[in-house]
Amino acid sequence: MLGASTPLGERLCAALLADPELRAVLAVTREPREQTHLPEDPRLTWSQVDITHARPVHDLLFGRVRELEVDVVVHLAMHRANDFGARVHVQNVESLRWLLAQADRHPTLRRLVLRSYGEVYRLEPDLPSVITEDHPLELSPEAPQWVRDRVEADLLACTRMGIASGLEVAVLRCAEVLGPAEGSQLYDYLSAPVCLRSAGFDPMLNVLSLEDATEALRRAVYAGGTQGIFNIPGADTLPLTRCIRLAGRLDVPVPGPLLAPIYELRRRLRGAQFSYRLNRGRFHFAAVLDGAHARQVLGYTPHHPVAWQAGLR
Amino acid sequence: MSTLPAALQSQLGRVGRRLASGVLAGPLEFMRAVPYRDAGHGYDVFGYEPLHAAFALSVLESVYRHWFRVRSYGVESIPDRGAVILAANHSGTLPFDATMLWTDIVLRRHRLPRPVSDYFVPSLPFISTFFARGGVVGGTVGNLRVLLENGELLMIFPEGVPGITKSFRERYRLRDFRVGYAELALRYHTPVVPVGIVGAEEQMPRLARIPVPGHPFGLPFLPVPLTLVPLPVRYHLHYGEPLYLHEELRPGDADDPEVVRQASERVRSAVQALLERGLRLRGGVFR
Repeated sequence: MLGASTPLGERLCAALLADPELRAVLAVTREPREQTHLPEDPRLTWSQVDITHARPVHDLLFGRVRELEVDVVVHLAMHRANDFGARVHVQNVESLRWLLAQADRHPTLRRLVLRSYGEVYRLEPDLPSVITEDHPLELSPEAPQWVRDRVEADLLACTRMGIASGLEVAVLRCAEVLGPAEGSQLYDYLSAPVCLRSAGFDPMLNVLSLEDATEALRRAVYAGGTQGIFNIPGADTLPLTRCIRLAGRLDVPVPGPLLAPIYELRRRLRGAQFSYRLNRGRFHFAAVLDGAHARQVLGYTPHHPVAWQAGLR
Repeated sequence: MSTLPAALQSQLGRVGRRLASGVLAGPLEFMRAVPYRDAGHGYDVFGYEPLHAAFALSVLESVYRHWFRVRSYGVESIPDRGAVILAANHSGTLPFDATMLWTDIVLRRHRLPRPVSDYFVPSLPFISTFFARGGVVGGTVGNLRVLLENGELLMIFPEGVPGITKSFRERYRLRDFRVGYAELALRYHTPVVPVGIVGAEEQMPRLARIPVPGHPFGLPFLPVPLTLVPLPVRYHLHYGEPLYLHEELRPGDADDPEVVRQASERVRSAVQALLERGLRLRGGVFR
């Protein structure tokens, strides 16, 4: 599991290790072991690897992965902070490219589960509010790198479906996981005591709890023989204003054009992650992932609403 | 961490909702009895919410009864359950015809119609939110597919913007119908109920239209009506028998442009016939 030290990764490790039939989990993190909260289990092997370099990725695949006869890779190692630059791009996209290229000739790998993002979809008034897997992607050159990298990684994995010999690819386009350290833009937005939004707009959102995201990934790991793209919606579908109220924040509508500069200032002064530019579409237009495909193929249905107050402390 | 102003706002919100629920008790009870698919927080995935709809109903019902004094004929043609497409003529500069049709169906058929708006409507501040809370959805195939699969009642004006903005001298002459709704009806085996709305054409005669440079919010132009408020014309809503466009067709025929065009033409003719009957029957614009 790449990105095993993320909250989702740690939970997924625990969920997988709950299966007594599972022989081994290889948790790959960038951080030292003591900085992670991985479960203690003799079947868990930890490895510290910097996936922003090709050689360590190669050595990981043809070293520990081969030794442990790992057959499924779960990729959760997308850069979570709203940073940009070549190194971030390498982590988000190139590392996946290396992985896919080497998976072709790998002796044990047979399945890749990529955690992708609902943010890859384009949001415009003339597009459906309920988003299926064939919804247009955000390919605009004006899109921030945060989005472009996610789209590129997602497409990279999609183009390998049915091409890489013997490698099944499952791309899980998850709704926003509303929790700390998950790279959630909405979480950062709701962390501020005052939440500004565009006056006159109150779009519908869908958010995913860590429990449901874990369950969706766990099911994808075990869904051998299937591949494809799966939207992973959460159990909470609600308007933005209700999100703000449930999070216990002050909801302040302001004229839309003011939001980008205000939040950019907040980002620079406070080191916050939320960028209004990145979220402009979904702060105006309803966007709810349609989970029918995941329900039919993976048997996934969201059951765990977000613990609003508890989750946003 | 919850802040005092946020807590106060939340408290005020709760009080406001409680107050609104009390004031709107009658319409709210009515709207709560109209089935909808709650996505978990009291809203459906498109943003419909019964309390807002109750508010809309309370306002619109007065307009329906006392201003436009709506008369309705054949509303029982609308099946009481399952997916249905209502196809109506569109006119009157501002979409009061849609609101009167919505009110009529809610009051008399106890079903929630989902008015289908043009693409630019979701870009309009305040209006987009208000409309969404009342059940309006953006007119994309994806949205309509979801609604039809859920067995909902779609309210479509196939003339679109050219219908509502036609000049006074062109009244009751239907514009070309967009055919997307007919394709959906064929594909999802959905009955189409034609509706002729008589009265709306005379409510706000349009004097001119001002082009809007750059189309802010997607608005094609601003209409200049003769009156600032609609005239108290009498509305007559004529519902036709459901048309089963898919009968005797194969599933693949929904992809045949000629079949779809003919199906839409059948609906257009039915709407035109209802309009002509309605015009014959009415005693005058205000009667």
